[in-house]
Amino acid sequence: MLILGIETSCDETAAALVADGKVILSNVIASQIDLHAKFGGVVPEIAARQHVEAIGYVIKEAIESAGKTAPEIDAIAVTSKRGLVGSLIVGVAAAKSLAYALRIPLVGIHHIEGHIFANILSHPEMPIPHVCLTVSGGHTMLIYVKDLCKYEVLGDTLDDSAGEALDKIAKFLGLGYPGGPVIDMLSTQGNKSAFNFPRPILRSKRLDFSFSGLKTAVINTTRHTDYHVPDIAASFQEAIVDVLVSKTMKAVLQSVSGAKSGSGTKKKVSAISVTGGVAANRRLRKVFSDRCQQEGLEVFFPQALLCTDNAAMIAAAGYARLRYGEVAGLDLDAIPNAPLESAI
Amino acid sequence: MKILGIDTSSYINTAGLIDGDRILAEVAWEAKNSSLQKIISIIDFTLTSAGLTLEDIEGLAVGIGPGSWTGVRVGVTVGKTFAYIKDIPICGISSLDILAYGARNVSALLCPIIDANRQIVYAALYRPQGDSITQVSEYYVGEITKLLEIIPHNASADEVIFFLGNGASLHRDIIDKTLGPLATYGSQIEDVQRGSIVALLAAHRFDTGESKDSLACLSLAPLYLKESAAQALLTKRESVC
Ligand SMILES: [Zn+2]
Repeated sequence: MLILGIETSCDETAAALVADGKVILSNVIASQIDLHAKFGGVVPEIAARQHVEAIGYVIKEAIESAGKTAPEIDAIAVTSKRGLVGSLIVGVAAAKSLAYALRIPLVGIHHIEGHIFANILSHPEMPIPHVCLTVSGGHTMLIYVKDLCKYEVLGDTLDDSAGEALDKIAKFLGLGYPGGPVIDMLSTQGNKSAFNFPRPILRSKRLDFSFSGLKTAVINTTRHTDYHVPDIAASFQEAIVDVLVSKTMKAVLQSVSGAKSGSGTKKKVSAISVTGGVAANRRLRKVFSDRCQQEGLEVFFPQALLCTDNAAMIAAAGYARLRYGEVAGLDLDAIPNAPLESAI
Repeated sequence: MKILGIDTSSYINTAGLIDGDRILAEVAWEAKNSSLQKIISIIDFTLTSAGLTLEDIEGLAVGIGPGSWTGVRVGVTVGKTFAYIKDIPICGISSLDILAYGARNVSALLCPIIDANRQIVYAALYRPQGDSITQVSEYYVGEITKLLEIIPHNASADEVIFFLGNGASLHRDIIDKTLGPLATYGSQIEDVQRGSIVALLAAHRFDTGESKDSLACLSLAPLYLKESAAQALLTKRESVC
């Protein structure tokens, strides 16, 4: 089954052809990073305009570079939930037009579900259930993946996402945009113990995140102390990594105890999936790998091209949803704040 | 030539179908925020009403604005995707041209005005010519008062000016005050884009040599006339430095 995936939820215009939810035949991404760099972050109206300009070329390239023709496509999967509304609209309009013109099924995908599938696509051997940490400029979420397309959200960010905090601090330090890769790079030259920034551990039952206090602490420190930029970057990154890893470990432990006591429906979790743009961060990968080795857990990261927003992950999620019999009507709308929902 | 025309740039969205100079079907609805949700179903309804399918369509016409930025992105994306996947030529048409073309039988200087909020309008001037129109000014975006200062420079002495579009009814008081009896107005019917008019104007453009290369569709873009607020701020800052 050949699925064309389309993803335009933020600032990447992407289309991909994936066979049977497994084999990536093409994965085209038109990045807008340069357009937004001078603003130090994504400008929604500029992103929406760029999507309209790029969408036709990106779809054409996805079909042609896979060596396929339009009539060979069996279904269309599109990100219709979670993202910037002006951006989502362009992908959904293109996807509906394709589904109608080719008379093939259409399925609307939640962007976060796409990230969960980026890792399933990268590692077909990855066990399910697992705990997924998906972390990028747009979101920071902990999800218990019970089964394919069956989720329990364990935690979400209450303010900034981890990627957003990285972007904002990079901007504050005058390091450029996007912040994640710059801070990752610079941190290798700095002392990660130079500053002891707060690790915001919230005492709520849910495993939610909050990074705005950390951000403020970093900014205050730079105002009151002499500092070496790489030390600030390394210490700040270490605090973020620490929070992400410890909360994820807590989520795994909760899953295990839930299974033991028989109180929950959770099964014992033996694997962690880390996805999203920040999953490319080298320090995050190192700390996760070390901790998981100590705890006897497996950890998985997507291949580089599937970390950031892409359409192959949307096509893979679409394949799974279609197998549950889910098909969207031609009235499919873009819903910017939709919750992540399980398949029925 | 069977042409499907769509326009989602204003508060009324519309799809229309023509064959030569015959109107086969036309639908219009008050969009609010339903452009994306309804556009495909309404195109399907328009086609089936005429007993046709997308495969029968030989040309596409799509309103490119100026107007609602979000709305126009829906129409342009649907149009260019159909054109690419079905290999059909497409013609992007300004919403101001569409309004003016709808009034091509009125002998006056035609001035469609589209509201852009906060006393700002989009507009242009046209003269009817045979069964068509000729644009006699640049596309205008700016304050309504400035527009009304410019118009007399483009009109001959005592020339009647025919105002239409939602901006015309909105700013009728100030237009009357500035231009007096020279200002005349269309009815509500002439204030909105119509799918069949979009298609008829495209038919005219195809006849007079508009490119029929369907790959040209890939570069089809909305006519915004205005930068995004962020870009405008940046441009201002750069010009100061
Ligand atoms: Zn993402």
